[in-house]
Amino acid sequence: MSIAILAILGPLAAAGLIASLRRTAEPLAMLGAVVSTIAALVTLLRVAGGARYSVLLPGLPDLPLRLIVDPLSAVLSAAIAIVSFFVLLYALGYMRGDGGRARFYAEMSFFAAAMQTLVFAGDWVLLLAAWELIGLSSYLLIGYYHEQPGVPAAASRAFLTTRSADLGLYLGVFLLVSRVGTTEIAATLDAGGTATTVVGLLFLLAAAGKSAQAPFQGWLADAMAGPTPVSALLHSATLVAAGVVLLARAFPLLPPGVLLLVGIVGGATAALSGLAAIAQRDLKRLLAASTSSQLGFMFLALGAGSVVAAVFHLVTHAAMKSALFLGAGIFQHDRHGAGFDELAGAGRGRRFAFAGFTLAGLALAGVPPLAGFWSKDAVVAGALRSQYAWVLAPLALVGTLLTGAYVARALRLLWYGEERGGPAKGLGSMGVGLTGLALLAALLGVAADPLARLLDNELPEGLLAVVLNLLAALVGLSAGRLLSADRLLGRVRAPAEVNFRVAGGFADIMVRPALSLAYAIDGLDRSIQAGALNAGRGTLAAASAVWAADEFLHSAVRGAGSLGLVLAGASRRADERGIDVLIAGLVRRTRRLGGRARRLQTGLVHRELALAAGGVAALLVLVFVVTLSLR
Amino acid sequence: MTTLLVALTIGAVLFGIGLYGALSQTNLVMIMMGVELMLGAATVNLVAFWRFLHPDAYSGQMFVLIVMTVMALEMAVGFGVATSRFRATGSVEMEEAAELKG
Repeated sequence: MSIAILAILGPLAAAGLIASLRRTAEPLAMLGAVVSTIAALVTLLRVAGGARYSVLLPGLPDLPLRLIVDPLSAVLSAAIAIVSFFVLLYALGYMRGDGGRARFYAEMSFFAAAMQTLVFAGDWVLLLAAWELIGLSSYLLIGYYHEQPGVPAAASRAFLTTRSADLGLYLGVFLLVSRVGTTEIAATLDAGGTATTVVGLLFLLAAAGKSAQAPFQGWLADAMAGPTPVSALLHSATLVAAGVVLLARAFPLLPPGVLLLVGIVGGATAALSGLAAIAQRDLKRLLAASTSSQLGFMFLALGAGSVVAAVFHLVTHAAMKSALFLGAGIFQHDRHGAGFDELAGAGRGRRFAFAGFTLAGLALAGVPPLAGFWSKDAVVAGALRSQYAWVLAPLALVGTLLTGAYVARALRLLWYGEERGGPAKGLGSMGVGLTGLALLAALLGVAADPLARLLDNELPEGLLAVVLNLLAALVGLSAGRLLSADRLLGRVRAPAEVNFRVAGGFADIMVRPALSLAYAIDGLDRSIQAGALNAGRGTLAAASAVWAADEFLHSAVRGAGSLGLVLAGASRRADERGIDVLIAGLVRRTRRLGGRARRLQTGLVHRELALAAGGVAALLVLVFVVTLSLR
Repeated sequence: MTTLLVALTIGAVLFGIGLYGALSQTNLVMIMMGVELMLGAATVNLVAFWRFLHPDAYSGQMFVLIVMTVMALEMAVGFGVATSRFRATGSVEMEEAAELKG
């Protein structure tokens, strides 16, 4: 058995225990997270020491659950475990006093377990299962405040969008498995041929849906409906990262054409969502758009052929974005809202949180020597080195520039503005979580070289990339600091504010066909109904014929019955007038006779003696007469 | 033969007196006296028949003894009934003792 399993089982067991006990949720969730973190770190150390292995768990018949421990899964697992740990630490403070927090902790732990499973999955079926579990738990977590208006709709929208895109994964996996004949991921990766193009496109669809890439980027802003720790976890290491994990896992499979498309999708999302982030008037929605944009960078890096850069940016982004969300959550807590009007100047009342937020923000913008600088540098360098540099590199640089602009906007907003003297409660564990993640965001740059060695790949770098990247970041930062959103965006602002709903966005892409399908089904339903109506009429006619026959039979039976009744009546009359009268007469006469005989019984001794004497005398006379006549 | 006739005549007269007594009286004691007379008449007849027709056979005497025993028993039972009746109602008048009629 491998200790890597503990990284999955820790949070899973915690989720199960919390869900069944409904008590001691915080210690259990923390315990699960600590176990998971330790297991993930130990696994990472072992992998760094050269260990590569796969574990076969007994699963369904003919379908063992295969976990693989390789550099990619170890690095991602460690990132997920650490981010979940700090986010849970933060949640201890953030969720204090919330009535349903047992459910929250159970779902968070389950979410982390599902993501760990996805990362370690060495089998397409297991990967699919983990993918679905992630979708389910993110739906549950986004809809955590389900009693508030609009929240269920937001959760459903997030779920439906990702689900529609998930079809790509299903079709792709089905195609791949039916072509290669095994569900083991490693064995399918060297399959060639035209089918891989189709499979790659399908995977891209699924990954774009999960990772909020164009044209699905809209749902991510709605996913803000959940509690802040949920957003922090969702947007950093878990849900949205699943798409990148999928493409990184399937990277050897993807033909160059698909890779170019991946890069273009990522670059376009980086630019479009960057614009959307600038246009937002709500800090959390800004961060959501930024997530989509940063994931675009990872897609771009994958498209440029550099898995290392993508994974590196995924890891640093996980730390940076969760730190940003945790900071935003603290401000939101203070001001009871995340809109720009409410948050203006919130940072000055919370200098410590603002420092953490700034650190993470500057790292995201790509200011050296913070982590984001190194990872973005790697992405840009990868784009420059790619054979499609002429299309990928400009997109990457525009993305960097826009990142700087919206980070500067957020920082300016939080610092300038009226200071309302928000409730100066201590931060407690919220501060600890934020500090840990902000420090990671600042320092993860040193992990670049070990990571590259671990992944058996060199991190792309180059002086040109460094210079261009730094320039873009600085220009973006100063532009965001100095100019208003209207000035920055101009006429693009209106579409940017609604997150570039391409061709109507989600509403048109998903809802319109769904509605027309529903109409078609409705029409089918109507014709079925009409058919059913006709059948019903025929049945009715048959039924009335049967009814008539029935009526006839009924009257016949009735006639027979009444005949029987007449006969019975006659029989009864005969009975009454004949036999009854006869018997009654007999009884009457007998009684009368008895009455007469009764008179003899006087009870007077001498009278009866006289009768007896008379009787004897009569008898004697009779004997005498008989004797005489016989003589 | 004349003596037999005389004896039978006496018997018949006694029987007739007894019968009349039994039928005419309403007192239980008087009725029983009538009955005793009738039984006495029967005894007279029996003795007469034995003495004048079969003087050598003793069966006639046996009959007489049996009849006398029956008479004694009848008297005992009759007076028992009368005593009990008297104790219960204070009279032995048979006109008043018709409760057992149907």
